[in-house]
Amino acid sequence: MARLVIDPVTRIEGHLRVEATVNGGKVKDAWSSCTMWRGMEIVLKGKDPRDAWAYTQRACGVCTTVHAIASVRAVEDAIGAKIPDNARILRNIIMANQNVQDHVIHFYHLHALDWVDVTSALKADPKKTSELAKKISSWPKNSETYFKAIQDKVKAFVESGQLGIFSNGYWGHSAYKLPPEANLLAVAHYLEALDWQREVIKIQALLGAKNPHPQTFVVGGQSTPVDPESQNALNADSIAFMLKYADMALEFVEKVYIPDLLAVASFYKDWAGYGGFSNFLACGDWPDASGKMYLPGGVIKNKNLAKIEPLDHKKFKEYITHSWYKYSQGDVGLHPWEGETTPNYTGPKPPYEYLNVDGKYSWGKAIRYEDLPMEVGPLARMLVAYGLGHKDVKEVVDMVLKKLGVGPEALFSTLGRTAARGIETLLMAKKTKDYIFELAANMGKGDTKIADTDKWDPKTWPKECKGVGFHEAPRGCLAHFVVIKDGKIANYQMVVPSTWNLSPRDHKGQRGPVEEALVGTPVADSKLPLELLRTIHSYDPCMACGMHMIEVREE
Amino acid sequence: MEIGIIGVGNILLRDEGVGPKVAEILKKNYKFEPEIEIIDGGTLGLDLLVFIERFKKIIIIDVVDFQKEPGYTDVLIGEEIPPYLKTRFSMHHVGIQDLLEVAKLIGILPEEVVVVGIQPEVVEMGLDLSETITGKINELIKRVVNILEKWGVKCALQSRQK
Repeated sequence: MARLVIDPVTRIEGHLRVEATVNGGKVKDAWSSCTMWRGMEIVLKGKDPRDAWAYTQRACGVCTTVHAIASVRAVEDAIGAKIPDNARILRNIIMANQNVQDHVIHFYHLHALDWVDVTSALKADPKKTSELAKKISSWPKNSETYFKAIQDKVKAFVESGQLGIFSNGYWGHSAYKLPPEANLLAVAHYLEALDWQREVIKIQALLGAKNPHPQTFVVGGQSTPVDPESQNALNADSIAFMLKYADMALEFVEKVYIPDLLAVASFYKDWAGYGGFSNFLACGDWPDASGKMYLPGGVIKNKNLAKIEPLDHKKFKEYITHSWYKYSQGDVGLHPWEGETTPNYTGPKPPYEYLNVDGKYSWGKAIRYEDLPMEVGPLARMLVAYGLGHKDVKEVVDMVLKKLGVGPEALFSTLGRTAARGIETLLMAKKTKDYIFELAANMGKGDTKIADTDKWDPKTWPKECKGVGFHEAPRGCLAHFVVIKDGKIANYQMVVPSTWNLSPRDHKGQRGPVEEALVGTPVADSKLPLELLRTIHSYDPCMACGMHMIEVREE
Repeated sequence: MEIGIIGVGNILLRDEGVGPKVAEILKKNYKFEPEIEIIDGGTLGLDLLVFIERFKKIIIIDVVDFQKEPGYTDVLIGEEIPPYLKTRFSMHHVGIQDLLEVAKLIGILPEEVVVVGIQPEVVEMGLDLSETITGKINELIKRVVNILEKWGVKCALQSRQK
């Protein structure tokens, strides 16, 4: 039996490695090994909790804003700070804009090339591509000349021998199903998305949420002033500026991303049968003035959409049976507030061929909810909302299912996960505008309060307190847990989306979501495991892990 | 502004944070004529596209695996850079490689890209640079200043009042 090793970035501790055994052209078993961001408490212990967000935003190479948000929320929860309405809305705008930008980039930059063959695009007829483009969307960049120019550009890039970002694809693989014209269309949009994202994040820059690092957060609210009368604050001009870019974002999602997603998906409907998982968890986010979340939290067990349970983080437990740690109390499950990070590496010395998957094999802990592995991310959020009868979500999900001619059961799959991300992007692109209007309305009422300063002074805090900060990051539920003693950080643990999705087996031997999702995946050529990448990338592991580099070894 | 300096690396991983730290020192202690932009690029990758597209020339300050002793510094120019990105001390190197490749593909790569690099000693969780690397900060700054002067920028130490 062949064992495949997918090791995208060697020599980095923060990488994802997947090993799989294949039998009869299908994945029989799989193991995911990754490094979660561990040991944050080593850096943060004894520090002022009000500064924690400035450190945690550096934890990941891509997700600065999300860690800043989860961190301020955790500390606010611990000390009992209540953020004013403007701060709530500003954070909603930042989070929604981030969500849209991140999902589009994921689709085009990290995931599309699992479905789109760049080399086939070079053979496409630009005229036919133009006809296809006009058929599926009213997006104006659709002329024959335009597609010819794109084709020439990519050709020159490929012929220069420096394939760069295209160098690791499995070009010509039999699992690629798109006709050349659809491939060229997608490649054109891949390039457009790169230009688009540079524009769309200007909203973040204006709000001080990317400069390039977030500057605008503060425990208790936001620090960028809001004042319609002032030149040095977010004012009426800022509202107009943000609306312009929010419109640009929405138009691209409506006229490019969604039509592309539907067009690509229609050639890959068999992927509604692979890559699924059964338990889902969402923490909910985008609170309104009453505290109600636009995307609700909840837990789904065994695909049962009729019974969505409310989320209770006290049911989180992290196990280390297969993780390179030891706990002072032995092989137990610990809630993150009690979390410990004592490394205990027992793996082979690199470079090595295979991990010993019977023993410890990952730096990621196995986090469980009531002892069950849970998938987090856009699919989890859309399923929870769909199950709860969320009007907006239901409308878009049903539209997509209808256009693809599949039922809701198709959602529990790689195709469903990739579709859910697009669906969510469309919803959040619309909500971005709503939140900007909401901010304008508040400013119009003369409300300029952006932070609650009552709890700023540590003397107002309890001697000991702990808090949790949840955020629905693009990749899924993110949670920061903080314990504060005498005004200083005593413990700090981050449970990131990949901790859930890429978790190794637990104390009961249950596979993590990605491990489980890979079982049964067809593999046409075990030397070129493109099919595995489709499911792995559909989970949106972080940028580094999203690379196309693969090593394959025969057992 | 035609010239930009980007310090990259993760400040939570000890020596890996040398890029942002050197960028901060340059920003605080020097005055440049004409003005240049100095960015703490942290661990960002593609998010830096929006920053680099404005420049004709950029200097990236980063840890690099020169296969030399810790503290070794050197300057890489243009085509010399990619092979050195093969060893990645952490995630951010993937981001920088992507950044340069994508910038080239979409035609916004600055005309001149220079990396001022240093071989790190320790890349592990923590905020402080190792002594070896701390001792090389002035050398890194000197290398950056030399390049800027070649590009016709006047670099003067600012008096540190306040």
